[in-house]
Amino acid sequence: METIVSDTNRLRTFLKQMIVETLKLEDITAEKIDGDAPLFKEGLGLDSIDALELVVAVEKHFNVIIEDENVGKEAFASVNVLAGFIQKMFSGVSKSRMRLSG
Amino acid sequence: MQWVETEETVRFNEVDEWGMAWYGNYMAWFEVGRMALLERFDLMPGQMVNLGFIAPIIKLTCDYKKPAKCGDRIIIRTTVFKPEIAALNFIFEIVLQADRSVLARGETTQVLLTTDKKMIYRLSGELAERVNQLIDYCCQN
Repeated sequence: METIVSDTNRLRTFLKQMIVETLKLEDITAEKIDGDAPLFKEGLGLDSIDALELVVAVEKHFNVIIEDENVGKEAFASVNVLAGFIQKMFSGVSKSRMRLSG
Repeated sequence: MQWVETEETVRFNEVDEWGMAWYGNYMAWFEVGRMALLERFDLMPGQMVNLGFIAPIIKLTCDYKKPAKCGDRIIIRTTVFKPEIAALNFIFEIVLQADRSVLARGETTQVLLTTDKKMIYRLSGELAERVNQLIDYCCQN
């Protein structure tokens, strides 16, 4: 998973696919998701229960924890923002692991 | 699965013109079952507020199988199932005491918000402890 995280384009594509699969979206395909469009309300139109499911998916795939709505609002602004958020958090996790093992 | 059971009698004011329990009353009976279960784990609405949380319902389903009638003794059966997300999922069954036939089955989903209305995505601390006790109790074989 680390190779995907460091490759921004692959990460963005992966996240689009993850969103479609996790939320079982039927009226939009991963390719059609605009990376800069808001995930909630006027963009993809996701709701708060969708956010809960995405949180679980992000944690499962990237071991990145989104605690609450405050963090969620920031992280789920768009696919591209989410990718940046994961990269930022992921590097933090890796560094702390390196420190622990080193 | 472990169920908590509560008995009620269908009252005159709960039936409609056709002598059947009005459909909305089943939600009130679900609530009786929910309170009976939550009380055991110190998760009553007021106790949750004391911990800094509320748990509003965002989804409710109910299948009506057979009508309850005035004077019927009914048993409200309640349990929860383990959610994959930070939510509470209750299952309810209303059965006739006389022959245990199922009158209705329902489910609710509750999300968890802080008292200042921020949704939480992960349970932690005392709330997580109590909710996990509730889930462990209900999901035991």
